[in-house]
Amino acid sequence: MPTIYIDNKAFEVKAGKNLLEACLSLGLDLPYFCWHPAMGSVGACRQCAVKVFKDEEDTRGRIVMSCMESVKDGLRLSVNDKTATTFRSQVIEWLMTNHPHDCPVCDEGGCCHLQDVTVMTGHNYRRYEYKKRTYTNQYLGPLVNHEMNRCIQCYRCVRYYRDYAGGKDLNVFSAHNHVYFGREKDGVLQSPFSGNLVEVCPTGVFTDKTLKEHYTRKWDLTNAPAVCQHCSLGCNVIAGERYGQLRNIVNRYNSEVNGYFLCDKGRFGYEFVNSENRVTQPLIRKRQSEAVNRATLMQHMSTLLSGHTLIGIGSPRASLESNYALMDLVGKENFYQGIPDDLVYIEQKIVDILLSGAIHTPSLKEIEQADAVLILGEDIWNTAPVMALAVRQSVMKTAATHTTEQVAIPLWHDMAVRELVQDAKGFLANMTVTASPLDEISASTMRAAPDDLARLGFAIAHILNPSLPEVPDATDAVRTQAMNISRALQQAKHPVIITGTSCWNNALVRAAFDIAAALDLTEKRAGLAFVMQDCNSLGLAMMRSSSFEKAITSAERSSNVTAIILENDLYRSVPAGQADAFFSSCKNVVVLDTLHNRTTERADVLIPAATFAEADGTFVNNEARAQCSSQVFMPANSEVRESFKWLSEIRSLKTTAGNGHEKHPDEILQALESKFPQFKGISRSAPPHDFRFHGARIPRESHRYSGRTAMQANIDVSEPKPLQDDDSPLSYTMEGYRGPAPSPLIPFFWAPGWNSGQSVNKFQLETGGSLKGGEPGVRLAEQTGVTPVFSRDIPDAFTARQDKWLLLPQYHLFGSGELSVYTEGIASQSPAPYISLSRHDAERAGLKEGDIVTVKSDGKAYSLPLSIHGSLPDGIMLVPAGLRGMDSWSWGGWVNISTVKV
Amino acid sequence: MQALTNRAKPVDRRPMTFMEKIYLPAIAKGMGITLKHIFQKKETVRYPEQKRPFSPVFRGLHVLNRDAEGRENCTACGLCAVACPAEAITMEAAERKPGEENLYREEKYAARYEINMLRCIFCGFCEEACPKDAIYLTETFAPAHYKREGFIYGKKDLLVPMPGEKK
Repeated sequence: MPTIYIDNKAFEVKAGKNLLEACLSLGLDLPYFCWHPAMGSVGACRQCAVKVFKDEEDTRGRIVMSCMESVKDGLRLSVNDKTATTFRSQVIEWLMTNHPHDCPVCDEGGCCHLQDVTVMTGHNYRRYEYKKRTYTNQYLGPLVNHEMNRCIQCYRCVRYYRDYAGGKDLNVFSAHNHVYFGREKDGVLQSPFSGNLVEVCPTGVFTDKTLKEHYTRKWDLTNAPAVCQHCSLGCNVIAGERYGQLRNIVNRYNSEVNGYFLCDKGRFGYEFVNSENRVTQPLIRKRQSEAVNRATLMQHMSTLLSGHTLIGIGSPRASLESNYALMDLVGKENFYQGIPDDLVYIEQKIVDILLSGAIHTPSLKEIEQADAVLILGEDIWNTAPVMALAVRQSVMKTAATHTTEQVAIPLWHDMAVRELVQDAKGFLANMTVTASPLDEISASTMRAAPDDLARLGFAIAHILNPSLPEVPDATDAVRTQAMNISRALQQAKHPVIITGTSCWNNALVRAAFDIAAALDLTEKRAGLAFVMQDCNSLGLAMMRSSSFEKAITSAERSSNVTAIILENDLYRSVPAGQADAFFSSCKNVVVLDTLHNRTTERADVLIPAATFAEADGTFVNNEARAQCSSQVFMPANSEVRESFKWLSEIRSLKTTAGNGHEKHPDEILQALESKFPQFKGISRSAPPHDFRFHGARIPRESHRYSGRTAMQANIDVSEPKPLQDDDSPLSYTMEGYRGPAPSPLIPFFWAPGWNSGQSVNKFQLETGGSLKGGEPGVRLAEQTGVTPVFSRDIPDAFTARQDKWLLLPQYHLFGSGELSVYTEGIASQSPAPYISLSRHDAERAGLKEGDIVTVKSDGKAYSLPLSIHGSLPDGIMLVPAGLRGMDSWSWGGWVNISTVKV
Repeated sequence: MQALTNRAKPVDRRPMTFMEKIYLPAIAKGMGITLKHIFQKKETVRYPEQKRPFSPVFRGLHVLNRDAEGRENCTACGLCAVACPAEAITMEAAERKPGEENLYREEKYAARYEINMLRCIFCGFCEEACPKDAIYLTETFAPAHYKREGFIYGKKDLLVPMPGEKK
């Protein structure tokens, strides 16, 4: 490790870093704008100047930009040198000449990197008193606000949007003192990662438009570490509340999972918590007054429990605690996953693979560092967007890494590396049913039916491991493509295979496993990543319960059934016919859910459940990482409670053994762990509820939290007792332990002098590295070196049938989420329902774009407009899945067009 | 027990003399003091008819100011609330809509602004923190109320009336 001397003090620093990174990692305060740990240095803002000296005798030194200078052994520099500090304050004064004096109305105020840096450099009074440069702002869509006057030209936005995230519609225009960052003309930002501009921009040019609707300063929010609910990746987020409303979501850095960035669905899709459609009161239907209090509800429940056969339907979007509490209530044999048989089968396959220990499943960070990626069937752009962003980094960085191995240029030297790399890219093979935005960075693509994609996978596996069977009747095109892909995978050091459940095809999972396992035999560390459907799909699947079809059978067998459905809209999870059949065979239906939906309409008893923001809960993400999501606020309405609390209380009606005390979530996890060995270690995913620092809790509120004695005064002048949280070490006050918290319990990032999100530097071991104390979450599946059992069952080639189509779901990032569409801005970008056929199929059936097509699925007819899909293979019908108000269809089945109206 | 000060005065326990027993000299002496005070300058003023002049730095009840055109100055930036040591100020911001330019000076305004006068210590930090000259502490006392709820001052209590408008 090289030693450098900062202001004549020796420090050991990591080689290969630049001076700015070294200084920040040592905990020194050095201002910067254009440098970003995820994007490297360009030396554009001239803010991080330090003085470097030739040797010990040199007193004059020279000013350099610390972000552009490599660490060298024996290097002497000064951060506090008079010339350097003056230089930095002059740069900021010059940047501030045109920056408006509008901090009071600016949404960034209080979490603004420009404010922090201005204070840090000591530029307190402005001398410039002339007219400022002004711009016209643009409409950038319903999610991101544009206020160009505040710009300080650091270029971070375009570097992030174009270089990092691959967006095309944001750019820099004009020259000199009129540089403009925006779109060519007003319009919605096209990239699904545009929300990160809010955090990337060091000042208030790009701000969160959903926050504007109920604006609150960062210091006034009650924050808690949460886990995103909108896909299976389990990105870490910080959710903020005030006045009983969830106000915003920001990124919570986790180097293994989401790093610095979120997708727009995760960042903005939180409004469902504040929705008017929330279930707020326990209801017992078919009686005079349906809304009841807790005592009446419990009385009614005890009559429903005794003498009835209980059936519990779990949920892939409810926490493990809630699912386990339901299983505990109804008994293991009566607990069913609320998802169809086909999906349970595929998910079971995935769980078997992960728990067998035969293969390594990579984190998102490892996917970012992979040097060859094969995507088999999964449309990750729509089903796991942040994984698509990670794949993009792997493609862009592999070439950069290769280049920097040959030329002595450090990887952080962003512009220089880009100049060298030009258009060279790492290897990505994107094998999906339809075209995807990832195709443009793919070396190899294929559009085929899931079975054909699986056959390609088996063909690759055969080349990598000739002991595996050859794919019968493979075409030459498939053979060549398999040969090319297998060659690229063989040359890679860390290849990653990605597949998932969105094609409803288990052959894809088996093929992907065969490839990864075959690569592993050749002394590589190959990774196999799966994408699931919901935030806790893997957690539920790991409980190894039966499918919904089994629940129907069991309900039909018994005459006196009470079904308890946990946070699951069955009309979205299973075909409507099956849901109807289930409801008609149950005598009593008890539903716990957060929002009114078609399933809650069928409920005889409806119990209001808490959303993720109002609940503690543990979720298992796609890499089997169990992560704890903490309660952000307690609902003012005491009838809204965590499902596991309701279920435990209902269970106490059944037995007299309980002592009446509520179970803490960590105790439920311990019970889960002792019952299911596959969850071993899960109770370590967060510190227990009684964890304290010398008796002190960790406050959810900042020390600047305002209005404590006034906020509730209009309701009740007597100041209420602070809320008590018995389930976690976090408190609902401003008081408590302010030092470094264990990483799963960091409620927000803040450090003295660093009010913006950039303060995460102070929480990391080194800039861009892991959090101090390790990353949150516990991985439940690790590679143990077990010999893999290859699958040899190769599906037949897909053949288009006469007048019958294979029905597959098309997921849409904006629109397919059950909860995210409660955000107006996301709902407005959701497509209208359609039916998609290939051009050839449409011509053969004599259909034009926009014709109304009627399709029969599960005994129900649906009429939707036709959308002709150029890249879709023949014989496949794509229908958007999970749009608001749409039923779930029997995906993977065959349907025909019954009538055609023109 | 040891005395804390040396000002202790031993009680005179001698029996009263005749002059003391008839009390008349003591009454005359007391009346003398009373009469002397009738002709001296009064220590009190006849509040509320008469009022004392305030000190130039007196801090009384808050007002939310308007600008010369009658638009609200407050932009709900939250600096008064964060400066308040009693944490007695709270507000909710809202965005100014087109057509409301005559109501609010800047693009944001306080949809709700409340001060808990029971908690307020009239330190004036809010006035000091305000970047928009919106909040001022006036020379008025907080009036008395029969109920504690009356001390929660909302925007309608705090905002200075529009020119020509009666409060």
